[in-house]
Amino acid sequence: MLSGNGQLDANKWTPFINSQTWTTYILPGLWGTLKSAVFSVILALVMGTALGLGRISEIRILRWFCAVIIETFRAIPVLILMIFAYQMFAQYNIVPSSQLAFAAVVFGLTMYNGSVIAEILRSGIASLPKGQKEAAIALGMSSRQTTWSILLPQAVAAMLPALISQMVIALKDSALGYQIGYIEVVRSGIQSASVNRNYLAALFVVALIMIVLNFSLTALASRIERQLRAGRARKNIVAKVPEQPDQGLETKDNVNVDWQDPDYKDLKTPGVQ
Amino acid sequence: MIKMTGVQKYFGDFHALTDIDLEIPRGQVVVVLGPSGSGKSTLCRTINRLETIEEGTIEIDGKVLPEEGKGLANLRADVGMVFQSFNLFPHLTIKDNVTLAPIKVRKMKKSEAEKLAMSLLERVGIANQADKYPAQLSGGQQQRVAIARALAMNPKIMLFDEPTSALDPEMVNEVLDVMASLAKEGMTMVCVTHEMGFARKAADRVLFMADGLIVEDTEPDSFFTNPKSDRAKDFLGKILAH
Repeated sequence: MLSGNGQLDANKWTPFINSQTWTTYILPGLWGTLKSAVFSVILALVMGTALGLGRISEIRILRWFCAVIIETFRAIPVLILMIFAYQMFAQYNIVPSSQLAFAAVVFGLTMYNGSVIAEILRSGIASLPKGQKEAAIALGMSSRQTTWSILLPQAVAAMLPALISQMVIALKDSALGYQIGYIEVVRSGIQSASVNRNYLAALFVVALIMIVLNFSLTALASRIERQLRAGRARKNIVAKVPEQPDQGLETKDNVNVDWQDPDYKDLKTPGVQ
Repeated sequence: MIKMTGVQKYFGDFHALTDIDLEIPRGQVVVVLGPSGSGKSTLCRTINRLETIEEGTIEIDGKVLPEEGKGLANLRADVGMVFQSFNLFPHLTIKDNVTLAPIKVRKMKKSEAEKLAMSLLERVGIANQADKYPAQLSGGQQQRVAIARALAMNPKIMLFDEPTSALDPEMVNEVLDVMASLAKEGMTMVCVTHEMGFARKAADRVLFMADGLIVEDTEPDSFFTNPKSDRAKDFLGKILAH
């Protein structure tokens, strides 16, 4: 059927060697995808941190309030959030009409991913050994100092891979903006296809772009995770990680390691007592 | 220095501390002994309110332990604590572990705090490891850092909650040596430990606990040579048999 429509013909691919296909369609779309993803990831990180910390606050009403927000926005499909935001922004003239779709996409992605990040953060803090908090408060640190100096840095380090996977999801979900007319890479790909009549080839190229983007993010995530496991090289993520075959088991002495030592073996959880 | 009156502590239905009345004067080194589950650690942890109590009062230096907030934090700053599992902050260097609380809580200048940290690390014998991370140190070294970290707050009291129980045998002495030198300098100390040698040598007073009660409260010599209660005789018989 595809070949019947001529979708598999070699000339369906030729538009992609024409620079105009890229400058008119694909690149603006890619820009839209990246713009909405970057904006919403930054906002989601801010919102997720605020909600996540609010949820473990000592103030009961704040804890309760944050829990309601997190559970609500985590439960609503992102697409519905976007459509709702689009209608709401249009109805009440909250954003200029040229930015309507962009604002709605960013809103939907931020609310959803912010709620998920809040949960990631909360579970990250909960997974830290109880002794960390005890040691900090036993030194006379306030609960805010304990959270910001002791718990959060460790939770973020532990949760970094999960946080980056969530960014990959945000990037992919920006394609839902298609439905409310936002110019992102899927919409621009299809627009170029309707001009050139090469849907299969266009979607293939779009898929390829998404794979490259997300694969590099995932590679970054596993890179950072390895750095964290190898020790404290995370200040420099391009530093060379000592590569050793996985030992597959933890020894009692895994607190006593020097990762710069040439004989260092990469154990799964250094530093855990 | 520490005064506990009528302290009761429950974990659910379990009565962890029963009728604890205890007064520890300044400069006294108290070693708390007893079988596991006898409430030794709980007693130690109630003194800086890491464990709450259901009844009774605890006074430190004449002030009743506040329940929460700034008052409690201020009081905790004056009570150093050393844990069984070290609890160093793994994301900070050794030096930063020691300077963190003086800078954040005592509002000390960074340069001043670092000077203090280096002198304390010198004292516990690990100044040359100051820029490493906790995971790069042995257990004994980590525990000595933990002691330096607590001392950096210039505490009035030091609490030790089984400080050598998680250590390999050959590392126990380096930690006990630091504790013994602290004791000699007149620090008020409460040590929960299983190290009988340390109790004999360094302690001024031994508390023997069983089932949440202080069963014996005496000098180390008379405790080890002439225990009065059957529980203490039984306990000493078991640990001194080898």
